[in-house]
Order: sequence, then C-alpha cells, then structure tokens
Amino acid sequence: MNIHITSIIPTYFTPASSEVWGNVFYLESGEKYLVKAASGSGKSSFFNFLYGLHNKYNGTIHFDSEDISSFTELKWIQLRRKKISIVFQGLRLFPELTALENIQLKNQLTNYKTESEILGYMKRLNVAELAHKKAETLSYGQQQRIAIIRALCQPFELLLLDEPFSHIDDVQISNATQLITEEVTQRNATLIIASLGNSYNIDYTKIFLL
Amino acid sequence: MIRTLLNKQIHFSQLLFFALTSSLGLGILLVAFQLFIDTQSLFSTSNDLLGNQHLIINKDLGRENAFTPEEIATIKEQKFVKKIGGFTHGTYRVVASVSVANYTSISTEMFLEAVPDEFLDIQSTEWNWKPGNREVPIIIPKNYVNLYNFGYAASTGMPQINENIIREIPIELNLYGSSKREKYNAYILDASEKINSILVPESFLKYTNKTLSPEKTNKVSRIILEVNNPSDPTVLDFLNSNNYKYLQNDLQTSKTSYFLQLILIIVLGIGILITILSITLVVTNINLLILKNKQTICQLHFLGFSSTQIAKVYHQISYKILGVSILIAFLFTLLCKFLFAPYLVKLRIDTNLFSLVYVFVAAIILFIVLVIYYTKHTNKKIQQMTAMNTSLLTSEI
Repeated sequence: MNIHITSIIPTYFTPASSEVWGNVFYLESGEKYLVKAASGSGKSSFFNFLYGLHNKYNGTIHFDSEDISSFTELKWIQLRRKKISIVFQGLRLFPELTALENIQLKNQLTNYKTESEILGYMKRLNVAELAHKKAETLSYGQQQRIAIIRALCQPFELLLLDEPFSHIDDVQISNATQLITEEVTQRNATLIIASLGNSYNIDYTKIFLL
Repeated sequence: MIRTLLNKQIHFSQLLFFALTSSLGLGILLVAFQLFIDTQSLFSTSNDLLGNQHLIINKDLGRENAFTPEEIATIKEQKFVKKIGGFTHGTYRVVASVSVANYTSISTEMFLEAVPDEFLDIQSTEWNWKPGNREVPIIIPKNYVNLYNFGYAASTGMPQINENIIREIPIELNLYGSSKREKYNAYILDASEKINSILVPESFLKYTNKTLSPEKTNKVSRIILEVNNPSDPTVLDFLNSNNYKYLQNDLQTSKTSYFLQLILIIVLGIGILITILSITLVVTNINLLILKNKQTICQLHFLGFSSTQIAKVYHQISYKILGVSILIAFLFTLLCKFLFAPYLVKLRIDTNLFSLVYVFVAAIILFIVLVIYYTKHTNKKIQQMTAMNTSLLTSEI
C-alpha cells in the first residue's frame, strides 16, 4: 500500500516540529519505516490516524490515492480485516480469553492461518506453552508476543507496530523481528514501527524523528 | 467466540431482572387490553352505568311550561350537552281499551308521547310506524308493569304478566282529535327502565297530530339531554339558574357512574405508568449490558468486527428475553381471564374465549414493535460507542 501524507497536524495538541507533523512524505509498499520519538510526542496518535480510530487532524492522508477521511465504517472494517494490521501500544488483548483464543478471534475473521501455523509462530516466539493460559495471567512481555502473532494472522499491506518490543528480552526481540521481516517481505507490505529510541537491528528505508 | 466473550460480562440475575420487568409491563398491558375488549359491551349500551348519561328536564308546574325554540337553542349551545331531544306529545285525547277473554274489558284515558329513537334504551326492528299501518308499537315504563303485577293483578285476581305475555295483549286506541277521530290497534313492544312515559314511534305521533288536530301546535314540555356527567356542577348550576327541574334519582345513578369512570381512569393511568416505567427499565438494562462491555466492544471493533456483528449478540439476548416475557405475559392474561370471569358475569358481560384471539394478535404486534425498537436502540448505542474519535485509545498519544 502506498501512503501519501500531506501536512498532518493533530488538532487536540500542538506537537513540536518534526519530520512527521506538518510535512509531506510518502510511505511505499514493501518498505520499512521507523518512527522514533520521545514519549508524548504523538506516535500513537499518528498510528490511530492511519488505523482510522481518529480523524482529529488537519491535512490529508491518502491510501493508494484515496483520501481516508472519506472512508465509511464499513470500509475501515474491511481495511482492518484485509489490509492494515496493528499491535497497539496497550496491546488490547482480551484478558478473559486464553492466548490462543485471542489469536483465533482475529484469525477467524479471515481464516488466514491454520491452528498449526499459529502454534508454529508461538513456538518461534517461545510462548507455545502459554497457548491455553488466560491472557490476564501472562507477563506483559509474553502478552506483547501474543499481540504480535495476532497481528500476523490476517492479510495485510500495512503493518503498524506501536512500541512492540518494550518488555521483551533481546533474544526474543531478535526472534520477533526476524518473524516480522519475513512476513512483511513475503507479503510486500509496508512496515511502520514506533519506538522510543531502539531501532531493533532492522534495515529501515527511512527513520522519521517525531 | 465473540458471543462467549460478550456473554461473560452478563450475569444471570441481570437477565432475570430484565425478563421480570419486561413481563410485568407487557402483562399489565395485555390484561388491560383484554379487559377493555371484554367490557366493550358495557361502554356501548345506552342503559348502563358506563353508557351515555341522560337527564330529563322540565319546567315548574303551574305555569306555561313548554320550552320555547330559543330556550332549546340555548340548552343546545351548552358545552356539556352532547345530544338534545324533545318529548313530543299527542295533541288529542286517547282512550285505550283492553279486552282479555273471560275478563271484562278495561278502558282508560291516557296520553301518548314520543322521543327521538337515539334516546331509547330499547333496540327493536319493530319500533317503527308508517302511515297506513294499522298497528302501533308502544313502549311503557317498567314501573307500570310492576304496579300492575304486584298491585292491581294481585288484588283483583287478574293473571300476572311478563314482557313476553305483555306483547300478546290486544289494545285498542281511540284517538279523538279536534277535527277527526281514528282507531288504531296497538301492542306493547317492551317496557323501558329509562323513560317514564307511554311512548309511540315519533313518526306515528307526528302523523296523527297533523291529521287529527291540524290547527294545534305541538309543544315541547320535557327535554331529554345526553351529557357526560349529569352531576357535574356546571350542569346543575345551569339547570338551577333556569329553574329547570330534574329527577334526583337520575343524579344518583350518574354519581355512581362518574365515580366508576374515575376509578377506571385512575387504574388505567397507573397501569400505563407502570408499563412505561418497565419499558424504561428494560431500555436502561440494555444500556447497562452494553456499557458493561464497553471495552470489549471497542476492542472487537478495533480488530475488525463490525458494529452489526457485535449488535447481533445483544439482539439475540433481547429477542430471547422478549419472547419469554411475552409468553409469560400472555399466560398471565389467560389466568386473569379465568380469574375475572365470575365478576364479569355479575356485570352481565358474556365472556367468550374469542377475546383471547385479539390478545394473541396484540401480543404478536407488541413483540414485533418492541423487537424493532430494541434492535434500533441497540444498534444506535453500539454505533455511538464504536464511532470514530470516541475510542478508548484517546488516552494514548
């Protein structure tokens, strides 16, 4: 998915000048981007705009030359099922469901992955033994890995990861980044990672300072 | 999976409360509806407590006591008067004679009057007369029949009569007008409890007045009024200020009737209030069920579940509860029908099972209306909750 951003600025807070706010830039398919910023500078807001949860901004965002401000609820639902996937900073897992149920809930919308594929991913990120444990009993780092796998269980052309590795140890980060890069390359998708500073040894096309 | 997820937050006690309030409201509504249908006959008859109320007025005796056209017009203009009709009386002498086999014939002077048919408490196809007919139907006051049976017949050894026999008595009417005399055969059609007079069809009286005493004008000396409530002070004030007389007895009945109507209105008002409250409670309950799951609903929406998919879970819950409630309400109505039946019989209302068909249809209509309302309400609430910019993520910058 090609994204064209023209001078967007949130209306509910005044951000400091940056390479994102108020600028014109393109995010192209198959490329990887890092949005690097200190806490409170608007990373999550930027992701929420791209994910259609918020439209309180001036300026325009185009997905493949379509202005996203014209999208209906139904259109956003379709995008969230088939084109855009996200790992929220707050993860948004359902604590009362098990790790596997959380992933399956997303997967059943498109039946994109089989259960054995999902368990394979869980194994790679070292959380397979937690499959039947309730999400509320998992550590934050474990939950982050479940949320990453959940985000991969759907077709996408744009993958948004909002501080996805903040509570994960280096070995697992390297496992996760490997898995993510494989999936993104395979699908020729655009990857945008938001991070407080760490760049996680990924080969980015461009790093934006926010 | 989405259903189990959303149902986790919903407790059985909450659903029970939902079902109870819903059953209560619907039950009251259906019972009231059923009672309304069953008591229809009470409201439509003219001779009953709940029917239209009539008042017969006249002027003081001993003076020129006919009502002038102006006076009638003034009475007609009063707000409390729904209908007005004058008593027409014959302008000729009447001698009636009755001959019963084996008994000496009885002969008496009497009079004839007529009122518009709409004020009569007797409905009969025989109540009509056309010029050329030799036989005239007569309505006499019920009091006369009682006087005869328990006074005259008892003391003279004459046979007692009832409404069926009374019709068989041949009566000969000799009418002596100022310019002509005529003879008619008559029979007693029925006895009226409402109007204390000897009545013949209006057409007969008009015709005979014209042919027998053409030079005499017909005067209205008594007026019958249809009013909502004869004991209303404005009615009494009007009558007193014009020095019109009325029967106290009429007022007694009307007071009872008015009191009964008042009680019915109060009961109905309370019923409607409870029904409205219970529907409000049910709606609040739905809101609560949705609100409890606010976070789950928003997160499902973020993941790509449409608000319709989410609303469907709530629709199913409310349809099931509504279905159960309407069934309970219907059974309750059925029970009430059998409980009320003995009392309604005392009021001379025939209770047939057919009213249940109406109640059943009403229950189905109510179910459909409420299903549509609850569906729309739930959809609206969930759409509001999942609309753009209202998400839980506003706290994440």
